[in-house]
Amino acid sequence: MTMALPTSPGNGRGRPLKRFQWLVEPYLYLSPAIILIALVILVPLVVGVSYAFQAIDLLNPFETGWVGFANFEKLWADRLFWKALTNTFWWTLGSLFFQFFLGLGLALLLNKPFAGRGLVQGLVFLPWAVPAFLSGLNWAWLFNPIIGPIPHWLAALGIMEKPQNILANPELALWGPIVANVWFGIPFFAITLLAALQSIPRDLYEAAAIDGASVWQSFIKITVPFLAPTIAITVMLRTIWIANFADLIYIMTGGGPANSTNIISSYIFTTAFRRLDFAYASTLAIALLVLLLAYAMLILQMRKHLVKGI
Amino acid sequence: MTAITLNSINKRFGPVHVLKDISLQFDKGEFVVLVGPSGCGKSTLLRMIAGLEPVSSGDMIFGDTRVNDLEPRERDIAMVFQSYALYPHMNVERNLGFSLELRKRAAAEKKDRTSHAAGILGLDKLLDRFPKALSGGQRQRVAMGRAIVRDPQIFLFDEPLSNLDAALRIEMRIEIAKLHQRLGTTMVYVTHDQVEAMTLADRIVVMNAGQVEQVGTPLDLYSNPANLFVAGFLGSPKMNFVAHDDAALNLPSSLTNPSAQTYGIRPEHIKVTAPDDTAHLVGTIDVVERLGSDTIFYINHGATKPFVVRVPGIDRTAIGEKIGCQFQPEDLHLFDQNGQAISEHKNG
Ligand SMILES: Nc1ncnc2c1ncn2[C@@H]1O[C@H](COP(=O)(O)OP(=O)(O)OP(=O)(O)O)[C@@H](O)[C@H]1O
Ligand SMILES: [Mg+2]
Repeated sequence: MTMALPTSPGNGRGRPLKRFQWLVEPYLYLSPAIILIALVILVPLVVGVSYAFQAIDLLNPFETGWVGFANFEKLWADRLFWKALTNTFWWTLGSLFFQFFLGLGLALLLNKPFAGRGLVQGLVFLPWAVPAFLSGLNWAWLFNPIIGPIPHWLAALGIMEKPQNILANPELALWGPIVANVWFGIPFFAITLLAALQSIPRDLYEAAAIDGASVWQSFIKITVPFLAPTIAITVMLRTIWIANFADLIYIMTGGGPANSTNIISSYIFTTAFRRLDFAYASTLAIALLVLLLAYAMLILQMRKHLVKGI
Repeated sequence: MTAITLNSINKRFGPVHVLKDISLQFDKGEFVVLVGPSGCGKSTLLRMIAGLEPVSSGDMIFGDTRVNDLEPRERDIAMVFQSYALYPHMNVERNLGFSLELRKRAAAEKKDRTSHAAGILGLDKLLDRFPKALSGGQRQRVAMGRAIVRDPQIFLFDEPLSNLDAALRIEMRIEIAKLHQRLGTTMVYVTHDQVEAMTLADRIVVMNAGQVEQVGTPLDLYSNPANLFVAGFLGSPKMNFVAHDDAALNLPSSLTNPSAQTYGIRPEHIKVTAPDDTAHLVGTIDVVERLGSDTIFYINHGATKPFVVRVPGIDRTAIGEKIGCQFQPEDLHLFDQNGQAISEHKNG
């Protein structure tokens, strides 16, 4: 009568062996990809994490082996780690805050039609294209009173008593890389938020205007809810990225003066490649990873609530 | 009392002159329908009344206030968009009450007015839904409900039914007619659909290429079209136009007029007779459409366009047969060489 379909998945569900086959079969087909992904992602991760539980100090090559949680105890007692953690917080928050709000402002401006908009849009996105190394050097020079104008301007405005290099002042040095990072990162937010703004249907604003919304009200009640999912995801990505982004700090201050500008990722870098203590560097990296994972999960949870109607 | 007065309104988009010298008066409580072919400027005119497009020149007056420079929110109007423009991130209840939310009205008043509007439109059960979980007809209702909650001086509609299927369109058309009876608010309604125009309107404004061709009650426009454009635009099937020198035409001298270039006669005003000397026009049947309620003949009388005849009921006359057509004098429309109706004949 009908054709037999021995391989069809639903058919053998009754018998245990067939059922097992039916469950396993798809994974069999997927296994090459799974094995490849595991090799590429998991193996390095596990190896890296395992360093944190060993002693691997290239300056001390004979004292290697498993040491349990000794590295984490050292971390807990490490004054420089806590300093770097605080710096990471301020570095990330400061950079992100100004990048985001200036980027949003720029996106709102660029969303309005005006003569020469295309050209301005192109120019605005330039900093993003400059290599971090170059912009770091550039900003370091700008802050240098011998060749750069910024200290002189600050002094002229009365903000600074006399032209000094803020990068040499342990109290203020972190602001140098933060300013450079803000300049560097505004275009990212401007691009993504502009794209999100342009996807908001225009007739919603017209309906809101007729419903009686002021400019501020339609911003708060239409624009912001529409941007919220984009904001959540870009802020999350940028937070992780900035927290890990040591280039500018490394170039502009090298973590100094007196370790006052080290963030965790620049501290990791110096620990691994200057002090050659890979085990401790890996311990620091795990601490950062855990913090960022917790943060990302929080944001993703929030985002779920934001995207209801859209 | 007049609700809206338009005084020589012009609209230009850069070099494009979209609306030319529009002067109209809409009475309070009147249902005015703007009709015209695509691109003639209906939406633009409506958006100017709403305050969404600036007026290039002329005066826009509500009651006796000049509103040219007022923001939409200062005009006390509500508008139903073709796309509905529902706020996708708000549920139906918040969509309905959004105008009150913006005015920071008390929660109790909001609840009251939204549930009143929801009641009128049968949306009570949908208040918690988001727009994406509504059908087209339900969205349409929410868009109307949002306007009702506003309780505005003027309702504006821009092709509100064009995204609905035929059955739903008829249903919502009746709903809108009931709404107008119930609220008695001035309504300005843009549509392509002449059935909507004929059934809903107190007065119809026929527009073409940025100009007003004629304003009048639906029956007035149907019986006394001012020119060829209006005559051809309203009515379905369209009015037949026959050139005065058409060989098939055999009008008695009592019906002709020396300045008439074109004679117009509506398909439903034609009596089928034998193809003899008493017939005013003779031709052969090319196509027959039997709709049950009516039968429509497309008659070849030697011109490029067929002559269309509509007779009530089912008529068994077959394709290829030769028939004659007869008109009543009062049903005949005469147009001069400029396409303007020659009126004195009609009243005679
Ligand atoms: N922003 C604009 N810039 C330039 N021209 C425009 C603009 N908006 C509309 N137009 C032009 O104005 C004319 C009238 O447009 P409008 O939208 O009012 O037509 P409409 O009568 O509503 O047509 P439809 O029935 O297709 O909706 C069209 O020729 C259109 O191309
Ligand atoms: Mg339109």
